[in-house]
Amino acid sequence: MTPPGVGAAIVGIGATEFSKDSGRSELRLAAEAVRAALDDAALTPADVDGLVTFTMDSNAEIAVARELGVPGLSFFGQVGYGGGAACATVQHAAMAVATGAASTVVCYRALNERSGRRFGRVAAGATAMPTTSGVDNGWHYPMGIATPAATVAMVARRYMHCFGATSADFGRVTVADRRHAATNPHAWFYQRPVTLAEHQGSRWIAEPLRLLDCCQESDGAVAVVVTSLDRARDRPHLPAVISAAAQGAGPDQFTMTSYYRDELTGLPEMGLVGGQLWRRAGIGPADVRTAVLYDHFTPYVLIQLEELGFCGRGEARDFIAGGAIELGGRLPVNPHGGQLGEAYIHGMNGIAEAVRQVRGTSVNQVPGDGPVLVTAGTGVPTSGLILR
Amino acid sequence: MSSEEVIRAAAARLAASGDSRPRAARDPVNLPMIRNWIEVIDPNGRDDRDTAPPAMIQVWTMPGLHGIRAGDDPLGQMSQLLDEAGYTSVVATNCDQAYHRYLRTGEQLSVRAGLLDVTGPKRTALGEGWFVTTRSTWFSDGEPVATMDFRILKFRPPQEIPTQEPPTHASPTSPMLPLVTPDTAFFWEGTAAGELRIQRCAKCGVLRHPPGPMCPACGEASDGGYAVAAGTGEVFSYVVHHHPPVPGKRLPMVVALVQLPEGVRILGEMPGVRPDQVRIGLPVRVTFTRAGDMSLPSWQPAEGALPDRVIDVTPTFVIASALATRDFQDVHHDRDRAVARGARDIFVNILTTTGLVQRYVSAWAPDAVIRAVSIRLGVPCHAGDTLTLSGQVAAADGDEQVVAVTGRCGLGDHVTGTVRIERSR
Repeated sequence: MTPPGVGAAIVGIGATEFSKDSGRSELRLAAEAVRAALDDAALTPADVDGLVTFTMDSNAEIAVARELGVPGLSFFGQVGYGGGAACATVQHAAMAVATGAASTVVCYRALNERSGRRFGRVAAGATAMPTTSGVDNGWHYPMGIATPAATVAMVARRYMHCFGATSADFGRVTVADRRHAATNPHAWFYQRPVTLAEHQGSRWIAEPLRLLDCCQESDGAVAVVVTSLDRARDRPHLPAVISAAAQGAGPDQFTMTSYYRDELTGLPEMGLVGGQLWRRAGIGPADVRTAVLYDHFTPYVLIQLEELGFCGRGEARDFIAGGAIELGGRLPVNPHGGQLGEAYIHGMNGIAEAVRQVRGTSVNQVPGDGPVLVTAGTGVPTSGLILR
Repeated sequence: MSSEEVIRAAAARLAASGDSRPRAARDPVNLPMIRNWIEVIDPNGRDDRDTAPPAMIQVWTMPGLHGIRAGDDPLGQMSQLLDEAGYTSVVATNCDQAYHRYLRTGEQLSVRAGLLDVTGPKRTALGEGWFVTTRSTWFSDGEPVATMDFRILKFRPPQEIPTQEPPTHASPTSPMLPLVTPDTAFFWEGTAAGELRIQRCAKCGVLRHPPGPMCPACGEASDGGYAVAAGTGEVFSYVVHHHPPVPGKRLPMVVALVQLPEGVRILGEMPGVRPDQVRIGLPVRVTFTRAGDMSLPSWQPAEGALPDRVIDVTPTFVIASALATRDFQDVHHDRDRAVARGARDIFVNILTTTGLVQRYVSAWAPDAVIRAVSIRLGVPCHAGDTLTLSGQVAAADGDEQVVAVTGRCGLGDHVTGTVRIERSR
């Protein structure tokens, strides 16, 4: 039986090394990653007729196309809302392929986030932008909620209050990610696992978040190649079929500061994504072999488990107790080490890992051939994928 | 020897040489000076004809307009040395005063000073400099009556005007300000007027925050209408921000999301409030914090809060208070000289700030005995600015209370500190 899907697959993945100082321009990182992804798919720039990236990426599609010598583009686009764009770039590419707007689309994200513009710092200009985002920021930045960690800390505190979760519950996400990264040679934290005690001993960044609740900052780039199922069959690797793809923005949605909803303990935008994914793929949470959950800050991994239906509201801390999200557990999460352990490439490295899990080539391969879930940035309008 | 070694050696020598010889106050504790001081520092305050405001302690032994420091004054000697090494500018940073008893008019005081500590060179926002801490003890007829640890920064004024920070980077002092649009102007006009305004739909009456141009409940375009909130609420959630630095904020800081009884939530800092004073459900009341030329809503615990005192810092206030504290440094009365030394305008002196903090708490607890004032200076408070003092009972133990006081002006926190008081039974 043909699995339900959007008629497209990921046939190539490519990346640069993940570092703290790439020593190269972001454009060069983008070009290297896209070329690597095309090589992986045994395709050439001449085969490419579509490019998609993040609104936050500093490399325009035409600039990347120029460097690669792509002869022409019939589809190009950028997806907004920070890391929430990650899986949506693939969805947009798949829709372009499905409608015939393009045949082979590359999605990319390149950033010198550690050596260049660091997202964890306060961007004082954020309240000066003459846009709706600038106005939104004006309700939060001047009052002191001026970093991503601080925005998440507000939700985390309320979540702890309502459900009795603790800092140690958040720390178990870090321990799992770092354990997985420790056996991934591509990960920044290769061979450097951490203990829960080390998590608990790390300094406060924005209470209740500690340093080890916050993902690292990285330089690097990742690209993935999307094409039709027909073309995918001729490629060298087993295609990662896009069973479902979805975007979601919730009620009264803000970017990282949706503080005005009735409750502050959920991520309804992720709930919207999850509902679409299960319906379109014709599966449920219990069918998922492994999940790549966006982990820029640990509390949102717990809330994602609840929003996506892996457990009930407030039950994630029980769900993850005892190593359930570690390799060998009931739901291995982020076998590559996640962004906490491998690298922060705005979620794109998670999509690459999901493709490897489908191919059976991950260094931390999760046994079986069941579907793989990937989610994008949390706290923002977001997206998700099911690959198999 | 390098100049750093010279400075360190001199500091060690001065610290080892102990306290200076007693230096007598020019005049005894006297009513005219007390009344001049109260007139400018606390014009609505009570004036006790028998005892002097304790924060005047330093005033009695100030050297005066043509005064010359005693040859064995450790601060004078250290300052001269640092002047010669190029650290020619000075700013006071900390003042911790403890009062053993109140002084009566007629008492003749003397002071002895010793060097406690010299550290540096440190890179500061003002330039490279050295922190010099001295301890002064005042005596009345041989009886110690008060002590003060006083810290100054002697710094090298930057040679060039610092290059403009790129706009995407946080400057360490200028606060971030909200963008005001036709949809949000009523809110910021409200905060400037001391009102917390909640957008109200003219058609369906729904209250909404943050506001927008069209009612999501009924589709009616906003007519700028609003309700004025009672200004109370409960902490719905909060963050204690430790890192990284946030422009215009002192860390760690508490930022609270407050649920209003009107049904909306509004975010605000809880300036000067310690993290252990905050919990979800804590009753709070709104205050307004100056930031640039705007006012931001902020929150204070509803219990144990002192009413704000707002001081219009006119040039007359700066000059009159400097003179009433017998501080004749030119930066407090001569605008040209202040500008030449890198200031925007003349600015409030530390003796005045100490006095303002003490009298702010005394006005709230008129029968309490002030035991100590401990302050840390932040941004300067220039002529033309507004200084808002707010306070909160931070600790209580029997008859003794510690009141945390913050004084904010347009650039941010001018002063933070504590006042220790004893309530009579």
